[in-house]
Amino acid sequence: MTKIKLLIVDDELEFAATLAERMELRGIETQIANTGQEALEKVYFSPPDVVILDLKMPDMNGLEVLQGIKALHPSIEVIMLTGHGSTASGIESKEKGAFDYIMKPVDLTELLEKLKLAYEKRSKVEK
Amino acid sequence: MTENSIRQEQIESFGRLMAGFSHDMKNHLGIIRESNGLMGDIIEMNVLGEDETTIQRLKKAISSIERRVCIAAIMLQHLSGLAHRSDTPCSSFLVNDLLTEECTFLERFARLKQVKQVVEPGEDLPSVYNDPSLLQHIIYRAYLLCLEQLNPNQSLVIITGRNGKNVTITFRLNGISQGSLETVSFNNLLPAIEKLEGTLKKGGENHNEITLTIPSLSVAEQ
Repeated sequence: MTKIKLLIVDDELEFAATLAERMELRGIETQIANTGQEALEKVYFSPPDVVILDLKMPDMNGLEVLQGIKALHPSIEVIMLTGHGSTASGIESKEKGAFDYIMKPVDLTELLEKLKLAYEKRSKVEK
Repeated sequence: MTENSIRQEQIESFGRLMAGFSHDMKNHLGIIRESNGLMGDIIEMNVLGEDETTIQRLKKAISSIERRVCIAAIMLQHLSGLAHRSDTPCSSFLVNDLLTEECTFLERFARLKQVKQVVEPGEDLPSVYNDPSLLQHIIYRAYLLCLEQLNPNQSLVIITGRNGKNVTITFRLNGISQGSLETVSFNNLLPAIEKLEGTLKKGGENHNEITLTIPSLSVAEQ
């Protein structure tokens, strides 16, 4: 998975930074953004392969950011992070174009598996 | 508004507060889990050495865990206080204590709107003998109504004080344009406030405040 370029978007700075370190230890090139606006700027200037995106952030709703990412680069795959008890928000985000969703606290093995699948889908589209 | 519909709204308020609480707790647990996982990675991937980067990584992860456990413990302590308020329909309590508990959970709503929440508790306030659970509900609803009027980078200041034998809770909306509070209706809250034998008034030097007044213990005992 060394070729993956990942963007983690979460307003919880510590969460994003720590998860990014864990990804870097696995050879995944990782950027972080703490607001929806910052995420869109990073997608515009330095497009990643996959985005891990928090559903609830102060400046922009995760679904709005998802739509913004898809408008800029439709082939970028997005995995939504949701802290909600029900899976309804995750399902809604899939309907709006997310590749998949994962609940907080994150199971890293599950996240890495989804990341791999998202990257494979993105690579096929790019070819 | 019937007794039943006030009760229904109270349950709804409590449910929303709990939903926000669980979201915040998941965030804290998420950071604890990732920090712990990072330490595990460092050991498992044999990158544990005496180099400064590894040491800093470990120190950062350990302090993250410590800090988040402390925040989560305080939240749980306030949750316990908040939940126990509904143990009895009426009891003697300090408004500042009730407000501290509730504001721990209300702050999230302000944060999401990028509004700063400030609490200024008054000193030496008398105890109140009333329905604490109903007061929690009124504070929650008034808080959300105030928050709706505010924009990012403005602030919501909650001030407690006394007015004769009454206790006051004032919501000051810093940054709103003059007169904008005049059009906001708090009528839905009035039946519940009447049940507390309280009043709600708009005012303040800049017409940017609403004040809830409730009788203190000494008045209730008369």
